[in-house]
Amino acid sequence: MIVRDKILVVEDELTISNLIRTILTANGYEVITAVKGSEALSMISSHCPELIVLDLGLPDMDGVELIRSVRSWTNLPIIVVSARSYDRDKVQALDLGADDYLTKPFSSAELLARVRVAIRHTRMGAPDSAHVHSGKFTAGNLTIDYDKHQVLVDGKNCHLTQNEYKIVALLARYAGRVLTYDFLLQELWGPQNQGGNQILRVNMANIRRKIEKNPAEPQYIFTEVGVGYRMVEGDS
Amino acid sequence: MFRKNRNGTQHKLYFRFYLQGWLIFILTLGLASIVCALLQHITSSDVHVPMIFVLAVLIVSLSTDGYFYGLLAAVVSVIGVNYAFTYPYMKLDFSVYGYPLTFMTMLAVGFACSTLASHLRVQEQLRVETERERIRANLLRSISHDLRTPLTSIGGSISTVLEESSLSDEAKRELLTGAKLDAEWLSRMVENILSITRISGEASELVKSEELLEEVFSEAVQRYRKRPDAVPVSVSVPQEVKLLPMDPILIEQVLSNLMDNAVTHGTGLTKIWIEAKSADGEVIVSVRDDGCGIEESLLPHLFDGSLQFSGKNRSDGSRFMGIGLSVCRTIVEAHGGRIWAVNLPEGGAEFCFTLPEGGRNDDCAR
Repeated sequence: MIVRDKILVVEDELTISNLIRTILTANGYEVITAVKGSEALSMISSHCPELIVLDLGLPDMDGVELIRSVRSWTNLPIIVVSARSYDRDKVQALDLGADDYLTKPFSSAELLARVRVAIRHTRMGAPDSAHVHSGKFTAGNLTIDYDKHQVLVDGKNCHLTQNEYKIVALLARYAGRVLTYDFLLQELWGPQNQGGNQILRVNMANIRRKIEKNPAEPQYIFTEVGVGYRMVEGDS
Repeated sequence: MFRKNRNGTQHKLYFRFYLQGWLIFILTLGLASIVCALLQHITSSDVHVPMIFVLAVLIVSLSTDGYFYGLLAAVVSVIGVNYAFTYPYMKLDFSVYGYPLTFMTMLAVGFACSTLASHLRVQEQLRVETERERIRANLLRSISHDLRTPLTSIGGSISTVLEESSLSDEAKRELLTGAKLDAEWLSRMVENILSITRISGEASELVKSEELLEEVFSEAVQRYRKRPDAVPVSVSVPQEVKLLPMDPILIEQVLSNLMDNAVTHGTGLTKIWIEAKSADGEVIVSVRDDGCGIEESLLPHLFDGSLQFSGKNRSDGSRFMGIGLSVCRTIVEAHGGRIWAVNLPEGGAEFCFTLPEGGRNDDCAR
């Protein structure tokens, strides 16, 4: 018997909830649903789902509060669903520990891709464990050699600077997931960095000019405007 | 219109106004003094002196904010004229016959001009607001009018599929595909409406941040490629890294609308080119296609939102003609840029818009 991954969908709009359930069930996931935040919290402890798909606007509590309380005791992956105009909420949710986000209106392909990435990342264990610092990461023609601290495109060394390499390696470690500006700055320059995200942006522009054929049509590192960056999923 | 100081930029702005006021004040009065001094060598009469200073007071009042500089200019002129340009020279003497009258006249001129200038400014503000209101009203009117068509199609298609059990699979697929296209179109329109509300909300100032154009380009193009009727797009940006102050979501909207416009109205187009070029103090973004171009008679009205009422060519395909473009114009102008369109000699149309550079690019060189 196949054990199917269990996903908790927290959404107060019945039509959207049904839609998500239908898409996920059709693709081999087991789905349970909750309408309220309090209901969701008790279902998390009783059903132990592998993943939560959470709409930020809930009738009884702020979705951001739910993330905070879930994160206080478990690393269970959370994908946030939000409406496009609420930029700040999205970034706040991600910075509080949500793993990824979907913007309404989203396609079924996007939903499935996000779910797949989030579940795979929990399988691989915590991303900051030691094994990801060695070996290689490959996506298309891009290879990151963690041992030599090199990034190669078509087998050729791109000669990234120390900082540029660190950014690429960090994005690759979370490949497929969006990383916010604040998260990247915190990880790379530490909490004392006060200069805003321009230093990151300029580094990223230089990286693109080194690894992408056309910096305006990236193949490896994508920008989520106003949120952060996302590395393409690696080949497995 | 008074707004609370919300951040440092606002402070900086006030400071600049402050400096600008003093600069105008000093330059104008200085110039008046020089002219008077020169004229003194040519003619012995001094009837021109008060005239020149009245003119100076007028210029200062008209080109500065509030009453302060105008009145100050009047007082300084009265004393200055008395000191330097009337007998006894280089000496203050208020006992000259008729002097109180001159003094009062100067003050009155300063006061009247400052009042006039503030009135003009209020009028201008009102005019801008009325214009903005007009665009918003136009938009809402045509939207409420034209949303019915796709909604009818979506609702009708779905209930037909649900109720007509005799439909072939192919017919069902066709109906649902149509509903999907209309839903996508609706969601693009909603994005446009959201963009407008982002600009004309309570605080009508844009929330700008320093952004890289290539990032905005790539997201707009990525989104565009998901369309079923997308044609190939080629994108290029300058090699140099340049951060520009903008609201990235709105600029993405401009690009999406321009690409959408090319696809919807550029009959026979096979490709779109998006390009950014640095010019003097600004960046010019161009969206070019190889379609049928723009009808010459429409060119002057493309961006003013009047096309959707013109009534001609209103087949289903030209729904919302011009709405997207007037949204583009609103967004670009809110950024302090310009937008225009031309037909290319080799065929096809080119839409260009500019974004001013912030002049703070040294900040990011750290």
